[in-house]
Amino acid sequence: MKKFTWFMIIVFGMLVLSGLSLAIAEELKLGRFDGVTIKACLIGGGDYEKIYEKFFPKFEELTGAKVEIVYKGNGFDIDKKMKLDFAAGTVDYDVCWNHTSFFSQYFDFVEPLEKYFTEEELADFSPRIMQFAWKDGHLWFIPRHADISALYYRTDIFNDPEIRKKFKEKYGYDLRPPETWEEFKEIALFLNNPPEIYGTQFAGKEEALSGRFWDILMAYGGKILDENYKPAFNGPEGIKAATLLRDLYQAGAMPPGMVNFLWDDVAANWANGTIAMYTEWYGWYSYFQNPEASKVAGKFDLARQPKGDAGIHSGWAGAHAFSVTKFSKNKEAAAALVKYITSYEPQLFEGQIGYIPVRNSVFETLKKEAENSPDPLAKKRLELMQLQINEDFTPPPIVPEWIPISNILYPTLQAIMLGDKTVEEGLNEAAKKVEELMAEAGYYD
Amino acid sequence: MMYAIRSRKQQFFDRNIVFLMILPAIVIVAALIVIPMVYSFYLSLTNLNLLHPSRARFVGFKNYLKLLEDSIFWRSLLNTIIFMGIAVNVEFLLGLFLAQLIFKTTRGQGIVRTAIMAPMMFAPVLVGFQFKWFFNDQVGLVNNLIYFFTGEYHLIPWLINYPLNLFALLAAEIWMSTPFMVIILLAGLVSLPVEPFEAAAVDGASPWQQFRYITLPLIGPFTYIAMVIRSLDLGRAYDLVRIMTAGGPANRSEMIWTYTFRLAITDNKFGLGTAMSFITVAISFAFVIYLFRQLARSRQEVY
Repeated sequence: MKKFTWFMIIVFGMLVLSGLSLAIAEELKLGRFDGVTIKACLIGGGDYEKIYEKFFPKFEELTGAKVEIVYKGNGFDIDKKMKLDFAAGTVDYDVCWNHTSFFSQYFDFVEPLEKYFTEEELADFSPRIMQFAWKDGHLWFIPRHADISALYYRTDIFNDPEIRKKFKEKYGYDLRPPETWEEFKEIALFLNNPPEIYGTQFAGKEEALSGRFWDILMAYGGKILDENYKPAFNGPEGIKAATLLRDLYQAGAMPPGMVNFLWDDVAANWANGTIAMYTEWYGWYSYFQNPEASKVAGKFDLARQPKGDAGIHSGWAGAHAFSVTKFSKNKEAAAALVKYITSYEPQLFEGQIGYIPVRNSVFETLKKEAENSPDPLAKKRLELMQLQINEDFTPPPIVPEWIPISNILYPTLQAIMLGDKTVEEGLNEAAKKVEELMAEAGYYD
Repeated sequence: MMYAIRSRKQQFFDRNIVFLMILPAIVIVAALIVIPMVYSFYLSLTNLNLLHPSRARFVGFKNYLKLLEDSIFWRSLLNTIIFMGIAVNVEFLLGLFLAQLIFKTTRGQGIVRTAIMAPMMFAPVLVGFQFKWFFNDQVGLVNNLIYFFTGEYHLIPWLINYPLNLFALLAAEIWMSTPFMVIILLAGLVSLPVEPFEAAAVDGASPWQQFRYITLPLIGPFTYIAMVIRSLDLGRAYDLVRIMTAGGPANRSEMIWTYTFRLAITDNKFGLGTAMSFITVAISFAFVIYLFRQLARSRQEVY
């Protein structure tokens, strides 16, 4: 009798399990793709790959398809590979990595996805991000996770009564995380005490610098390109943004070596406790909060990025995404893989390992989980993220030329900060080069 | 007489046997070098952009003219020439000095010889990261040493200010590549005949005179070979520069290959980038021809 009960329990359990997996497949309308091999070219390294390892086998189980990753690399390497493959017609993958900062380069090479997704399936994604995924009436990618910067500031400094008193005497208001970029500048200059501590700093080259400029520019209401694709960053807003960078650098409130820093250099400086406040991606958060790796663990807080006089909060952001290539012979299956991997369960997993979700349902679950977290910032961080993802998320201009534009911008910004060029001279020169670039690309034909 | 009468076919074979035997080599060289070179030269005459390959069209020598007007191009060329000029000469002098020292060593020469080759075993990328840290203005070794010795905190932005950044790059390059010079020059010194030195000593030549009038001319061919190889290596200095300064900031330390890469791949201007690499190749060829002429001359002087 006992044996029979156990047998029944096991049979019942198996039925429930298979029913569940069927239910998932049913709910997502994935379909069956027995014998189909889906090849993928994806972003690799570190935590990016965990979701592939954990969820691709599940997808294979659900649909009968096989997933093969033919290439893994960092974003810039993949971008190079894909562009060369697209140009040479040597694409042998069905699903590819995509990104809000890069995707407009690939319009000719990726498959519009709107016919594979229903409206309900897309409703859970941050509408702000989805607004950028659509262009010319087509849906070009499905977001996976996002990144945006918050203002990180040192609570031990900002709460120091001595410093607070002096600050109030000088500026007439209480020291607090800056709400505007003007305040940011004042506070950075005030707290600056090199070489022990710098007022602030950013990564000072490549897209990292152009992007921070874009952050400040948008807050002042400026644009990189106007609606006719003419450069617009050399107007009064651009001059304000570049002047802010120059003033902070030349006053020594940013370290001189900054123009050679990339993300990891700046993050290391923050973790070493030599920065009073700066804007930084959420992705670094757990590293900063780890007392073994970071001297500032438990000594900092987060705030929304400052706004400019246009009342807009800076929100330079990006989202990793997936697309299906035009060259794919199994587009249905490829779209099913994209649909599955961006669905609630895999996305919750990515949220749990630290990525910023792009689904509001995932945010809700994570916030509930954070209530029991030992980290006092856990819930606040998620709320701030969700606010920024839904309101401030702004990718760079949606043109394939963004990176080439950035490559014109950042040496110019460096030259302005170093004093090799004046603000107006530099921005006008860069604008001229950008206009040439856009003309060559056929924007003004 | 069977062998007296040969068929026409055989005659053709006999006459062209040499050509036929090198034919496979010619085919391989053509397929691997000539055809790609010709094709890439054609690309350098187009405005091929990786983002819009379908818009590519023939533009003649416009890319070349554009480069000649480009101030960053000239700066990168100048930087490369300065970098190359200083590096090759310093490496040579230092290498000669060290080679002489090792040559005169009577005990433990093998150990010293092996030890001095150590920097050659590191990948340039790793050397780049190492020296990037040495010259970091906040946490770097050099500024910390200065602090240690002077007691004052000097924030010298080694990798930022020109020509300090060129100096930092040179330091890394010279550290990494001097051993190569040492090895080649040491091989030269070892292979020298003893008789001229004995004769000079008998005639009362001072060590300096022996060095100046016997050693130097005799190792001339080795010097040139080493310099040609090093110059070509330096002409394509990319990895080290990419890691340490990436040609920046504000193009201050741009070299020809970092700029070529920036144009062709980062900025997607493949046609322009190819044109730039052809200019570079032309300069390299001219330089190599010059050096080989010098090499030939130095051989004539010696023998």
